[in-house]
Amino acid sequence: MKEKIKDFLDSDVLEKYLIGTCTEEEALQAERYIAMYPEVRDTYNELQENLEAYAKMYAIKAPDELKEKIITRIGKEHVGRKKYYRLAIAASIAVLVSWGANFFYWDQNQNLQEENAMVNSKIDNLEETMREQLEDVRNQFIVLQSPQTKKVTVKGNKKAKELKAVAYINPVKKLSYINVSKLPNLPEDQCYQMWAEVNGKMVNLGIIHEADSQEKLLALPYADKAVSYITIEPKGGNKTPTVENIVANIAY
Amino acid sequence: MSTLLEKHIVELLQERNEKAISLLYEHYADTLLGVANKVVRDEELAQDVLQESFVKIWKKSDSYDASKAKLFTWLFRITRNTAIDKLRSVSTKTDKEIQIDVSDVYNLGVDTTRPEFMDVRENLDKIEPKYQIVLDALFFQGMTQQEASDELDIPLGTIKSRLKIGLRELRKIYGPALLMVLSINLIP
Repeated sequence: MKEKIKDFLDSDVLEKYLIGTCTEEEALQAERYIAMYPEVRDTYNELQENLEAYAKMYAIKAPDELKEKIITRIGKEHVGRKKYYRLAIAASIAVLVSWGANFFYWDQNQNLQEENAMVNSKIDNLEETMREQLEDVRNQFIVLQSPQTKKVTVKGNKKAKELKAVAYINPVKKLSYINVSKLPNLPEDQCYQMWAEVNGKMVNLGIIHEADSQEKLLALPYADKAVSYITIEPKGGNKTPTVENIVANIAY
Repeated sequence: MSTLLEKHIVELLQERNEKAISLLYEHYADTLLGVANKVVRDEELAQDVLQESFVKIWKKSDSYDASKAKLFTWLFRITRNTAIDKLRSVSTKTDKEIQIDVSDVYNLGVDTTRPEFMDVRENLDKIEPKYQIVLDALFFQGMTQQEASDELDIPLGTIKSRLKIGLRELRKIYGPALLMVLSINLIP
């Protein structure tokens, strides 16, 4: 054992380990010997002290500016790293926020597009309705002021004696209108419905609402020898007229 | 064996407290600059080495293991290695081989004589050159005793005995001084 220690101490491995020029294997060997053998440990400690003492002999005054430089550089490395982490975190947050924003704007854009389409179709509908109404008003005007227009007073039959309506028929322009001025009250589950028999076909002209019927001219489809009927139908209207419930007819 | 100061510095290093660097500089920079200068033999270059070494010391501070080496030994290893790397990079840059050969050893220390280190120089003078050469070869050149024997053309046995005497001389000079340093370090 003594021989082994002596061999090791003679081998320079400890000296190489001391100044850090040994291989990894030698370092492990040195560390093992230092840990195991007090003689080696003492030699190593002695060598360390000798090294420090010897190195001190060659000391050169290190300038104070160098110290400042080093402190500044280390501070920067320190801060640099912190800055890097901060930047990294900030970048991650920015990416997340941008994803969020992207989705938000995409969603908003989608909604706006839908809304835009809706508004456009509404405008189209309004235009259409306005055109129809304008046409209607124009026709009404033509019918009402034309000398060729025949004015037909319509009266209800036994079932609705109070019913009063005026039909305006213009054979030249092929336009006809009806103004229902008075309708007898009906039970709540019934309503008046207007029909026209045009070229042998029964056309549903819709329900006559009491409230607005007085001021409105209802357009009738024009045809030669057409007949319009007003019937009493169940509330909500019927698909075909109930013949026994005819309260008035207008032939034109 | 470590002093209170060493312990304090190591603690600060491991806490990543920049004060550690300040204390290290105050207590070790002169010696480490000397070490760097012994290797690169250019004081300006040695200052670069010192700066780089301190940055390494700061970065590697968690790798220091007090059970394996004294603080100075660890600092010495980093500085010496940095100096050797520097020397290599400089020599590849200038495409001129700067040899760390033994003939330079004789001139070492002469060009860096300064009044504030006269006492240390005097101490160095107390060690005969023939011992200094062997100590230099061992501590700074990183030579094995066999390599020193080959380089210096001195028989291995002579190298061994000179090293022994050299170290003993060193102890004679530094034995009491080391004790003094220790006692100073104990006073906060």
